[in-house]
Amino acid sequence: MTVTQATRGTGEKPSAQLAVSTTGLTKRFGDRTVVDRVDLAIPAGSVCGFVGPNGAGKTTTIRMLLGLIRPTAGGGSILGGSLAEPPTYLRKVGALIEAPAFYPQLSGQDNLRALARLGQLNLKTVAPALARAGLTARAGDKYRSFSLGMKQRLGIAAALLPDPELLILDEPTNGLDPAGIVEMRGLIRSFADDGMTVLVSSHLISEIEQICDYVVMIRAGRLVHQGSVANLRATQQRDLIAAPEHDADLEQLAKLLEAAGCTTTMQPAENTVRVETAGLSAADLNRLAARNGITLRQLAEQTRSLERAFFALTGTDDAGVLPGQEMGAIK
Amino acid sequence: MTWAAFTSEWTKLKRKTLLLSTFLGLAVAASLFVILIFSQAPATGSGGGLPSLQQLARPNGLIVGVDRAVMLLGIVAFGIAAAQSASEYSLGTLRQLLVRQPRRVTLLVGKMLGVITFLLLAFVFAAVVAFVVAVVAMHARHGSTTAWFDGTGMTDLFRALGNISLAVVGYSVLGLVIGLFVRSAVFAVILGFAWMIAVENIITRIVPSTEKWLPGMALEAVATGGGEGVNYSHGILVAAVYLVVAIVAAALIFARRDVTA
Repeated sequence: MTVTQATRGTGEKPSAQLAVSTTGLTKRFGDRTVVDRVDLAIPAGSVCGFVGPNGAGKTTTIRMLLGLIRPTAGGGSILGGSLAEPPTYLRKVGALIEAPAFYPQLSGQDNLRALARLGQLNLKTVAPALARAGLTARAGDKYRSFSLGMKQRLGIAAALLPDPELLILDEPTNGLDPAGIVEMRGLIRSFADDGMTVLVSSHLISEIEQICDYVVMIRAGRLVHQGSVANLRATQQRDLIAAPEHDADLEQLAKLLEAAGCTTTMQPAENTVRVETAGLSAADLNRLAARNGITLRQLAEQTRSLERAFFALTGTDDAGVLPGQEMGAIK
Repeated sequence: MTWAAFTSEWTKLKRKTLLLSTFLGLAVAASLFVILIFSQAPATGSGGGLPSLQQLARPNGLIVGVDRAVMLLGIVAFGIAAAQSASEYSLGTLRQLLVRQPRRVTLLVGKMLGVITFLLLAFVFAAVVAFVVAVVAMHARHGSTTAWFDGTGMTDLFRALGNISLAVVGYSVLGLVIGLFVRSAVFAVILGFAWMIAVENIITRIVPSTEKWLPGMALEAVATGGGEGVNYSHGILVAAVYLVVAIVAAALIFARRDVTA
């Protein structure tokens, strides 16, 4: 299947073969539908962000792709193999699923050896995988002595063992400190440079924005959007940021813009107002302010972040994200 | 592929702490048991339920009293096996294993063979150590060990070892299966111990005729070469039925169950 077939209706141009495609992928646990008729179309060679709030169904979807959970309905193909037959494609897939899980009493190296033996992989793949994850110096230490960042990197090393064509990373930055997040970002970019398709899930949309060229958005088990990040940005409205010369004019400027049909957000700390323009151009805004005796010291267009795009696409706002589903990010 | 799962399991099993605690723990326990029997044995007759030195000097002297340790051996085998399968769920390592080996029955069979061979080797090691300790203990009591090394003595010894090994396989399989069903090492071990130590005894006291049909009793009969209540061939048959049913049920559940841990 190509992108053309799978992205019908998304406005995407055909560009490549698909690494992952699903049709009507559904998972129900009892009466609860966790993943609801999801049609994925992830191009080969892309770094695809899989985003959505906690509990949106990302991990369940990933587990279905990896053959750990049996879909209630639907199907698909991964690297040309049928989703119903995981052995046909898993030899070419590496995965880090949620928190890394290894045997605490074994060294990092022995944990990888156990996995390599199980997958009938050459044991010589262990050392390069550890090196790639930056764990060579601690390879002989017991897993239980590893820091959270090292455990996460061992998970990455395990995923790299089969020299995968598709790398699936489920929340790889969970629990990492800012330095660890930056490091992980660099690692993921390097995998893409090597030609791997990377599917990386996260509830931190701004994280995804920084490393991905393709994005799949999911909420409450349903696909909200999929397509290239560039196209998504292009289709998003731009906001205007306006700053009056005199601080005292900020409130009046906001009121004028509201009266003109715009949605505004005052940002008193910067003495600016963010304007969702509803068709109002920067020139219109400038004229409106001038007519009412307000001089602007700053007027700029700003592209909406993926986070705002997500909320726009789902018709929700920050307040609509339930407690524990915050979409924060390390800036 | 089964061989790959087997060698992978052994990579985990051969870790120093598990290897030493199992092999040395069993060897020390068996040796202490032997020392207790030989040091307390009266010269003739029987005292406190222990065999006499005269009885111990017979060709089957080495295996006298083994039946009293069978329950302990079974509990150890069951506990270690249950912990090995259940911990894959509690640690979350099963998802890693299934990504590298998605053929679940192959993985299960490889894991079972790995754990069973590990426990068999541990019991054989413990038996060899206990044998050496028995020879030393017998000489310390100025008893004769000549009969142990004649044809009949060695035949009895190897037959007893074979029977205990069969029982160890049985206890290991039951442990692995229960661990897989309940997915909690602690719960699996408690369940197994409670069944073998308490539940079967209570059932047989209430309904004595059930003695022939309970899995723990059947495995005990296999280990001891048969007893008054359950003879050897009946024990083998009943144990085999339980094990086949347990393995088939485990394979079906393992192959179909969603891995959400």
